[in-house]
Amino acid sequence: MKISQKNKLKNLILEFIIILIAIVFIYPVFLMVINSFKSFREVIIDVIALPEKLNFSNYLYVIDKMNYPQLFLNNLLITAIGIAGIVALSSLAAYIIDRQRNKYTRLAQLFIITPMLIPFQTFMITLLKVMNIIHLSGSRVGLGIQYWGFGIPMATFIYINFMKTIPREIDESAYIDGASTFKTFIYVIFPILKPVTVTVIVLDVMWIWNDFLLPLLMVNSSEKTKTLVLAAYNFVGQYNTQWHYAMTAMVLTVVPSILFFIFLQKYIVKGVVAGSVKG
Amino acid sequence: MKKIISILVITGLLFGLTGTITAQEKTIDIFISMPEYATAINQLIDAYQKIEPDVKINYQTIQSDYPTLLKVKLNSGDVPDIFASAPGKEIDLYKEYSYDLSGQPLVDAMQPAIKKVMADSSGEGVYGLAIKGNYFGLIYNKDLFAQAGIEQAPATMSELETAITKLEEAGITPFTSGFGEWWVYKHVFQHFLAATTNNPAALIKKFENGEANLKDYPILYNNFFHFVDLVSEHGDAKPLEATLNTEIANFSTGKAAMMVGQGPWVEDSLDQIDPNLKIGFVGYPVSDNPAQAQVISGADQALRISRNSDNLETVLDFVNWWYTSDYGQNWFVNVAGVVPPVKMDYQSDYDIIKGAKQSVAAKGAGQLTIIYSTDSFHMAFAEAMQAYVGNTIDKDQACKLIENNWVKVDGSN
Amino acid sequence: MGNKSKKELILFTLPALIMVSITIYLPFVISSYYSLTEWNGISKSAKFIGLQNFKTLFFNNSQFLNVLIFTGKYTFLFMLLSNVMALILATFLVQKIKTANILRGVFFVPYIMSMIIVGFIWKFIFSQGFARLFEITGWGFLNLSWLGNAHLAFYAVVFVGVWQQLGFYIVLYIAGLQAIPEDVMEAATVDGAGALSRFFRVKLPLLGPSITICLFMSLTNGLKVFDIILALTQGGPGGATYSATLDIYREAFQYNNYGLGSAKALVFFLIVLIMTQIVLTISRRNEVEV
Repeated sequence: MKISQKNKLKNLILEFIIILIAIVFIYPVFLMVINSFKSFREVIIDVIALPEKLNFSNYLYVIDKMNYPQLFLNNLLITAIGIAGIVALSSLAAYIIDRQRNKYTRLAQLFIITPMLIPFQTFMITLLKVMNIIHLSGSRVGLGIQYWGFGIPMATFIYINFMKTIPREIDESAYIDGASTFKTFIYVIFPILKPVTVTVIVLDVMWIWNDFLLPLLMVNSSEKTKTLVLAAYNFVGQYNTQWHYAMTAMVLTVVPSILFFIFLQKYIVKGVVAGSVKG
Repeated sequence: MKKIISILVITGLLFGLTGTITAQEKTIDIFISMPEYATAINQLIDAYQKIEPDVKINYQTIQSDYPTLLKVKLNSGDVPDIFASAPGKEIDLYKEYSYDLSGQPLVDAMQPAIKKVMADSSGEGVYGLAIKGNYFGLIYNKDLFAQAGIEQAPATMSELETAITKLEEAGITPFTSGFGEWWVYKHVFQHFLAATTNNPAALIKKFENGEANLKDYPILYNNFFHFVDLVSEHGDAKPLEATLNTEIANFSTGKAAMMVGQGPWVEDSLDQIDPNLKIGFVGYPVSDNPAQAQVISGADQALRISRNSDNLETVLDFVNWWYTSDYGQNWFVNVAGVVPPVKMDYQSDYDIIKGAKQSVAAKGAGQLTIIYSTDSFHMAFAEAMQAYVGNTIDKDQACKLIENNWVKVDGSN
Repeated sequence: MGNKSKKELILFTLPALIMVSITIYLPFVISSYYSLTEWNGISKSAKFIGLQNFKTLFFNNSQFLNVLIFTGKYTFLFMLLSNVMALILATFLVQKIKTANILRGVFFVPYIMSMIIVGFIWKFIFSQGFARLFEITGWGFLNLSWLGNAHLAFYAVVFVGVWQQLGFYIVLYIAGLQAIPEDVMEAATVDGAGALSRFFRVKLPLLGPSITICLFMSLTNGLKVFDIILALTQGGPGGATYSATLDIYREAFQYNNYGLGSAKALVFFLIVLIMTQIVLTISRRNEVEV
């Protein structure tokens, strides 16, 4: 009894410390949120002060200006297509690469992962050229598909590293039962990978939903294809930035992805428990 | 699986194909910077579409990375019908994409000074039009000057020093600098350059060829650096962290009496913070000759028309209407609230524009010199000046750096 | 392994290989061609000049060496801080505490904030925010010009860089910690191992895959650092915080030397490739197979 009480107290203190760190950590984000309720005057004079009153007029103005519902749908479509392709193609490739170690797979691994080292800005000009030729630019679906290429390297890398922790006996027993490689992957391996998949989804949803440069190159030309982040940047000018609207627009852009993150976090814990029971 | 994947890829490609927007018969694609005028430009477009309902105008605007994105678009064959650059030096840079507007009705309406900076390096053609005219100068707070007992805005270096002393005696910070922004330096420097020569293009050419030294021009070598010293000594506590926002905050709340490197574009922001601010606007004191403290006027941006546009006639109709119709001309003053780039009489409600017009009427306007160098050079220039303000290098090292960059960045191309 | 599985092997990796090739390799290779040309990035024709750009780069450009040194320093400090802090925080965040889910979210949010806003807010905190806090506390470090001084700006950039990316590594470490089977930990507890020795003897070795991922990711992200510097200092004050990627960007898009910029990009890519291979090899060697 004594020990568990001591532990409880320790945990409580720990939690308190982490919450303190988190508060410091989140402070700039908090500033973004409170400034989204202020007038231009309040933002410029003092970013740190609380808003004089809780005023939603910025939000009404920005939602209208951004054409929020349409752009929200665009974001949803692009992100969904991107994620589906990244998860499907990377997990499959990683499975083969990890399970069949030979010359070919080592080469494939190097080939898939190396692009993580190439800075995006160095091939922007030619990228748009290539995408124009194969007609992946200027459309939401096309942009979603492009994210497969940009997301696969990191996702495959993560999958390969976690794949190692899954004992080979599991797929071998499936083979003995007569399942094909693909079936083994779909019905045996992929479910075990659920926690990793959730991690990949979390990281990639956050990235695609809030990405700026690639959408700017590919889908900025029409309201029908534009993303939320692009619209948010319309409030930012060189000699005159409407900070109060810019912050509001950013809050409106980022919040859906954060809600999604918190929702998935709960799921990760469940996924791990489910996996360990099965294993 | 193979099938599934190939179906996926193929449908994806198909979607891509059908999803691409094919150019309509009468479409104008506008891709320009300056999002601060987005609302006004949308109103302009709406007004035009009432007259020409068949024309579809796609207007995109972005500030960050604009020149990069423009290059990406030009190279991938995605040339917008209307795009933006700087006038002057950058006219040549985009010339092979740009339509010569000579002979168009809008050129007759354009202010001669603006028309001049739209010509290429040989002085031929009109390769752009401006969204606005502009003024550059020193913004000051009339009430704070009065409070410190300064009757007239300083027009010479020694008057400036006296003013600084008086302001500090009255407990007022003389300057807010904006020295954290690269473009503040070019806005200030051009006044000193304009006072140095009547032919800035020729002088800058000499610098670009490595044939001139800053040391030989006392207004640049002595006065400009002295001015920068004064501002950093008698301005913000951390000058290199002072941005446009810092300047707006400090000036509008009466913490600083003079605002450096800005112009009419800040007045809306200042108004939103204190509508009762009494704003004065004059040329920078650049020497001991008060006549040289001139406000600079001119256009610092150019809208270019793609020469290979599929709808060239449609695009030209639009810009001609903009510059010559009653609505279009009034749009500059009443909707966008800018200095009109067209020949017209107008009354502005803006203090800065009023002050500028007064100063120009009394002393004439200085020549806009920033446009003879590229922004790439100006960024390198600002880097050297920041290193100087931060005491990492001394004046001669800064001069050397600036001269080198003139040759390296802007020279021979 | 039969013939069939070889076919499968190719088949299953092919889609990934194709997608990566058309979105990244193809444009990168075409773009690398320009390193052999003199081109301003705008005009329609580029002039072929052979290896001239590489000559300029190696023999006539001390600036590039400076930005490489800066990038190296940045990467080292960034890797160290973000991995150590992320590992510590992740270890706490997998404990059974009520607020864990929300806290994980909190640490992740900076990762997705727009760079322009991050720049605006941090600039304000460094200048006005610190000034105000200095008035209250009198702590000397608050009165320094963190973004205006060439030396301090380095630390400011690293700090904000870590702040912005930490959540990313926390998520990866959490995933790794949760993959450690409960029974292993229980066995260690029964053996009487204390919390600290449990961490170093049992958890850390089993975290191998996560550590490899995080080291590799932080290495590449550190070497490629771009956005955060652009938002905070734009390479300033006085050019003191130029990273390699920012310098490449400046060469290609500001100075309009697309050819030289591409040459720099190619050389930089090779450096990064070698560095990451070294780190990967070392890190893999220390991994423990389950």
